Amino acid sequence: MLRCHTPPQCRPAVGAGAVLMRRREMAARCCAAPRVSGVEAASAVEGGGGEKRTTTMAERLRMGSLLEDGLSYKESFIVRCYEVGINKTATVETIANLLQEVGCNHAQSVGFSTDGFATTTTMRKLGLIWVTNRMHIEIYKYPAWGDVVEIETWCQEDGRIGTRRDWILKDLANGEVIGRATSKWVMMNQNTRRLQRVSDEVRDEVFVHCPKTPRLAFPEENNGSLKKIPILTDPAQHSRLGLVPRRADLDMNQHVNNVTYIGWVLESIPQDIIDSHELQTITLDYRRECQHDDIVDSLTYIEEGEEKSSNGSAFAAPHPEEQRQFLHCLRFAGNGDEINRGRTVWRKLAR
Amino acid sequence: MENGRLLSLVVLNFEQFWTQSRSSVMAGSLAASAFFHGPGSSPAASARSSKNTTGELPENLSVRGIVAKPNPPPGAMQVKAQAQALPKVNGTKVNLKTTSPDKEDIIPYSAPKTFYNQLPDWSMLLAAVTTIFLAAEKQWTLLDWKPKKPDMLVDTFGFGRIIQDGLVFRQNFLIRSYEIGADRTASIETLMNHLQETALNHVKTAGLLGDGFGATPEMSKRNLIWVVSKIQLLVERYPSWGDMVQVDTWVAAAGKNGMRRDWHVRDYNSGQTILRATSVWVMMNKNTRRLSKMPDEVRAEIGPYFNGHSAITEEQGEKLPKPGSTFDGTDTKQFTRKGLTPKWSDLDVNQHVNNVKYIGWILESAPISILEKHELASMTLDYRKECGRDSVLQSLTTVSGECVDGNTESSIQCDHLLQLESGADIVKAHTEWRPKRAQGEGNMGFFPAETRQL
Repeated sequence: MLRCHTPPQCRPAVGAGAVLMRRREMAARCCAAPRVSGVEAASAVEGGGGEKRTTTMAERLRMGSLLEDGLSYKESFIVRCYEVGINKTATVETIANLLQEVGCNHAQSVGFSTDGFATTTTMRKLGLIWVTNRMHIEIYKYPAWGDVVEIETWCQEDGRIGTRRDWILKDLANGEVIGRATSKWVMMNQNTRRLQRVSDEVRDEVFVHCPKTPRLAFPEENNGSLKKIPILTDPAQHSRLGLVPRRADLDMNQHVNNVTYIGWVLESIPQDIIDSHELQTITLDYRRECQHDDIVDSLTYIEEGEEKSSNGSAFAAPHPEEQRQFLHCLRFAGNGDEINRGRTVWRKLAR
Repeated sequence: MENGRLLSLVVLNFEQFWTQSRSSVMAGSLAASAFFHGPGSSPAASARSSKNTTGELPENLSVRGIVAKPNPPPGAMQVKAQAQALPKVNGTKVNLKTTSPDKEDIIPYSAPKTFYNQLPDWSMLLAAVTTIFLAAEKQWTLLDWKPKKPDMLVDTFGFGRIIQDGLVFRQNFLIRSYEIGADRTASIETLMNHLQETALNHVKTAGLLGDGFGATPEMSKRNLIWVVSKIQLLVERYPSWGDMVQVDTWVAAAGKNGMRRDWHVRDYNSGQTILRATSVWVMMNKNTRRLSKMPDEVRAEIGPYFNGHSAITEEQGEKLPKPGSTFDGTDTKQFTRKGLTPKWSDLDVNQHVNNVKYIGWILESAPISILEKHELASMTLDYRKECGRDSVLQSLTTVSGECVDGNTESSIQCDHLLQLESGADIVKAHTEWRPKRAQGEGNMGFFPAETRQL
């Protein structure tokens, strides 16, 4: 299981009053400072006493915010030039980074701890942390440099031991949905590394800010996010061996960042697919974590057969013949233990 | 519902407030700060963007949606919940007395200038105002938004704009969570990425973007592209997650055939310098890969933008050791990291390795003992050769002897070499490191006091 380094979940450090409390403080400040224009007001209020932690310039300037019902969070991002890949559109790693960012900001906006472990008070007492289990991203239209992407995210319970975080990505210019994503998380004891059920105590802390009725980014049946990824034993058709984590791939806890795995999975895709196709879907199952001194092999297997046409999602590429599907495995070069399993679906680029 | 009634009260009394203001623009900005001041609400972003424009509310932001939201009042008051507020602030008087004839009934009721004594509960007012700006936020995000032309809007999303009579380009960046390194401050790669982004946006906003990254139209016609030959950076402080940085960039001539691009990065909030940098660029034919003189047509395109100001003065530049300078007298230690290969995400549109990536590789071989206790104070890079997808590189770092034992008091100097395993030099660099500042300084209190790994 992978440690939850980065996207903290939606959980309040205090009870349900937290959100309303912060909103009141917001309101109080803005009523108190009508005279000056926005920037000066911000600094004046900041300097004029009041709690040090609650509203910083960054929070006021942050583009995202909770929606009215407080159950989800929305933020917009502009795609920067260095986030764009060889197709002149944002890379899937950029998208994954933005999903992570908005997840973090969601947590922060409802007042959660953002130390990288994203725990509630009770969880810390019991030594529990969240770890990612699965990540599934579908992108229908990649944004280009200068485009603004609006991402909405929320989280909710998922069975007895888990939580899930969902995202919807839209092009802010025209409101079109350009992508969807979902991720599953489980709770684990930090010391024993064993999975733990979400106790009622923790549930109350964690899920008060989540939709009570299930809201799924992938509501359709048999959608790609639910498909199992089998163990791969046959020799891989393509591979890239000897991948090494860089310093920049490590998160605050010295483990390889979730997004880096996506890059490694793509490393063993053959050049002709990269040149002619675009990644539509990626599903990753996280099994083990990886550190700076590990060496990783990336293996790719072609996935044939009925899978190709069973993808009944309304958003999928319309012609299965133009799709290619692969299964992936990332493993330690030394002992062959699996780090991740994955599946990718590619659609032909309209060049 | 209480909410609805109070909402209407608030709106009505702000109407009084607006119609009494001296100018509609002022009203707009005051209204903006009063109403919409809150986390992430976008009209606050207009305040963020520049000091010389006040509250530019979008034209068609209608407050109608705000007041319509709560349930109509139970009938105790003859107040219609659909107040048609039209804050059309740009040049027109802001006036709530618009189309709805029912409004006439409302006006006499709102005669009392202060409404505080009307409120049954102060906290309800706060909740009401909260609802207003939350709904306004929602309105804002649903607006017909066309961000395609960056000059249309103030720097809401960080498009950047040209200032100082066209000579300087300025853009702001919010440091995102994935841009910070293991020590919770922005990595040097993040800062360099911002420099690259502003350089491109400068060229684009100045209308000089030809085909390909940064090449002007005259250059594209001749298959010429810019390649960086040297970069010098002086870093004074590192921003943290959530900080906003302001990057200024400008160009100047560098000899007869080169161009210099300088940057000055400041913390947006405090104005303190984060880093200063200068770079030298030369032209290369993208097909022959040979360096080229600057054609007169290109000089004519970019000459008008040349600004003689220097981010790093000559003296400061001279003081920075050149890459490859040897350490005399002291022992040195060498560290190597091999087997570095570009990933797909390291490549730009031309399938060449982005020059910011080299910095990460250079630092790969820096010993962890330096990175843990020190921060990069300055760096000088000499770019020698480009590399592509199939290159395999190795990174060598030579550290001046006295510092290797983890002495945290002094500054450290390192010499770096990034080369193909087959031998050719890609980049030579020299870095200076200083002991890290104490944690807790300027990190906005987001992280708990105990650090987990450092």
